[in-house]
Amino acid sequence: MDNSAAITRESEENQRIQQDLDRKAKSKNLLNIIIPYIGLGFLFVFFIIVTQGKFISTINIENLITQSFSLTIIAIGASFVYAHGGTDFSIGATCGCAQLVCGLLIVSGYPLWIAIAACILVTILGASATAGIALGLGVPVFIGSMCVRTTFNGILQYVAESGEVVIDYKQYMFMNSTYLKVIILVVFLAVGYYLFNYTVFGKYNKAIGGNPVTAVQAGVKHKKLIFAAYVALGLCVGVAAVFTLFRTGKVTGTTGSGVEFNMMMAIALGGFPMRGGERSRLSAAIVGAVTITVLANGLQLWGLDPATINCVKGVLFVLIVALSYDRSDGKLIS
Amino acid sequence: MGKELLLSAQGVCKAFGPTRALIDVDVDIMRGEVRGLIGENGSGKSTFSSITAGALKADTGKFTLKGNAYSPQNMVEAQSGGVSMIIQETGVIPGINVSSNIFAGRLDRFTKMGFLDWKKCHKAANEALDKIGAPEIRGEMMIDSLNFEDKKIVEIARAMSSDPDLLIIDETTTALAAKGRQLIYNLIKQMREANKSILFISHDLDELMSVCDTITVLRDGVIIDTLDKENMSIELMRDLMVGRELVGSYYREDFDGSSSDEVVLEARQISLRPYFKNIDLTLHKGEILGLGGLSDCGMHEIGKVLFGFEKTLTGEVVLTEKGKKVDSTTTAVTHSIAYVSKDRDKESIILNSSIQSNIVLPSLRRFSRFLGFIPRKSESGLTSAQIDQMRIKCRNGKQLVKELSGGNKQKVVFSKWLGTEADILILDCPTRGIDVGVKADMYKLMMQLKKQGKSIIMISEEQLELIGMSDRIMLLKDGSVTKELMRSKDLNEREVINYII
Repeated sequence: MDNSAAITRESEENQRIQQDLDRKAKSKNLLNIIIPYIGLGFLFVFFIIVTQGKFISTINIENLITQSFSLTIIAIGASFVYAHGGTDFSIGATCGCAQLVCGLLIVSGYPLWIAIAACILVTILGASATAGIALGLGVPVFIGSMCVRTTFNGILQYVAESGEVVIDYKQYMFMNSTYLKVIILVVFLAVGYYLFNYTVFGKYNKAIGGNPVTAVQAGVKHKKLIFAAYVALGLCVGVAAVFTLFRTGKVTGTTGSGVEFNMMMAIALGGFPMRGGERSRLSAAIVGAVTITVLANGLQLWGLDPATINCVKGVLFVLIVALSYDRSDGKLIS
Repeated sequence: MGKELLLSAQGVCKAFGPTRALIDVDVDIMRGEVRGLIGENGSGKSTFSSITAGALKADTGKFTLKGNAYSPQNMVEAQSGGVSMIIQETGVIPGINVSSNIFAGRLDRFTKMGFLDWKKCHKAANEALDKIGAPEIRGEMMIDSLNFEDKKIVEIARAMSSDPDLLIIDETTTALAAKGRQLIYNLIKQMREANKSILFISHDLDELMSVCDTITVLRDGVIIDTLDKENMSIELMRDLMVGRELVGSYYREDFDGSSSDEVVLEARQISLRPYFKNIDLTLHKGEILGLGGLSDCGMHEIGKVLFGFEKTLTGEVVLTEKGKKVDSTTTAVTHSIAYVSKDRDKESIILNSSIQSNIVLPSLRRFSRFLGFIPRKSESGLTSAQIDQMRIKCRNGKQLVKELSGGNKQKVVFSKWLGTEADILILDCPTRGIDVGVKADMYKLMMQLKKQGKSIIMISEEQLELIGMSDRIMLLKDGSVTKELMRSKDLNEREVINYII
């Protein structure tokens, strides 16, 4: 009688059922991970067909790299923030302001490296302010980033009102070289991947996202780590801002607007858990960023106007979120 | 008395993802029967009762109730079918009054043209409360103004208001004091006399023995045995639940309360408003120091201050040997202090993470090499060593902690601190909500640690545990120490209780 449980559990039929369940759980997990890739692949095929191949012409591939460069770099930084359960609505505004500072310095004749350093400094300052307000005052980071967003937007609009800042980007053609971008991208990806998966920094951020109290009780200096994650995001936004400026050549009152929403869409599209935690994957954020870019590029090439593109993006967003958003949290399992 | 079948469950299976909670469960409950259901955490008791009460759906299997097929879509449907349940945690809806709670989901009967007839509703609620013997609670009262116990009583009123044929009581009595317990026992008596049935789930084996006619034992989702009155014994139930014989005594057997003179941790005049004031405490090497009292006496918060998780308003906590002040959890962890929180799921573990990530978390700093690099090997090495040593029941280290049973979750918490090789362990209710088998393992582990010269502060609400394990016991009441007792054969519960109430 004492062994009856063992017999039932270990009977052939029950072992088969258990294996079946394990397999199902595994494939469900796998499916969640690969759905974003399938979506991206589908978009590629779709756009190749509707644009009769123009989508994969050499020129457009180069375009795609240039266009996805900024968002991908930002996605790498944002992964650390989203991994600990944070968010940032201010990156669009700080990105615009940073370009403004960079442009003004170049126009006033400062050396290029100073302008670039200033640009990156501005975004790091912005992200630090967001984290500083949230951590220092003990308010949700959402509020901190809204304060920063409003302030930086105000500065941008105030200055840009007195006239667009236009730089002579032909002088700096090397800043638009695809090779340079690819090299920078590879370096950022390698460092980001290493930090995210193999170091205390990445692991602690994921632990804070999983359960902040547990992380603190394990001796994690959570404020320091959260702050560092925002600095990393600021750095990435700064680099993206520099290259965006040299691509567009000018700064207006709307420069940078919408970057934060593209970022959030990328996070959701790639299957990055919105509350962070252990299931956060850097690759998810990057796939999301590439998907967003491919979508915008493909729809434009197909001949849709920007307003329609936004509508399509919105509808698609709902579709993909419906497919991939993890709703399992909070369900009763006892 | 002619035995008439009330509820019959046949071949019930239920899985949560890859975790099989119930396998081919058959249960028959007769009219007028009080059936006990026991098993360790994670054995499937609550899953079975939740399915019966309509809160969950079975994957396969058949239920019949009063001879008819029975498959409720939700709890309200089950209740109108004649099955009610009182659950383990508080199941009241906050922010509304008692009447609305009692008739939640069934308010239509008091509604006319979209308007609710409050008078009728309160009257019915008061009748329901009177009937179960709780005339001091009234339907007009706001649910939030009631204490925990009275909220539970409102739940009982809700369950009884539909005049059920089968009442499921899921580990309710452990949360209740004398008044609530008596109310439930009276209820059980009434139900039995009215030829109605009870499914009673509890960890308290003595209580089960005295209340139940028959007891069904579940282990690992499978029914092991059903005992009737003649065959019941506490030892047998324990062994059946755990699946092996528990040898020897539960607690430690020696009465030697002496420990080294060497002080390892000292608290001088620490205070935390509003919990406790000006507490002095010293912990010796190799000592198990028990902190006892009622839940709100401040002892849980003392543990948090000693660990640096909360900051003291006055005085200081000092690691004696190094003269280091403990002012943050980071200092505590780097200086070999461990802390197991009372609220395991909310504080001690990351539910949505793997066993490995949980176990290595406090050791990461120690593992970290150049530029914060963590070698994969040191992570997986520590994890598999701990899984083996603590005998954690799991598929592998990658399994999510939320899929484990309560006892195994607690083992993960212990594992992560053993992995840091801590010298001082602050354990806040280390055996709360875990079953006998794991409990015995935990006590054994504490003795091992003591023998290795480690020091333990055990905060506990259970007097027997304090008396059974501590070298020295500090008793608290309303945030002050009322008495210090040394380990002795003559200590008993009554003596301890005197100082805490």
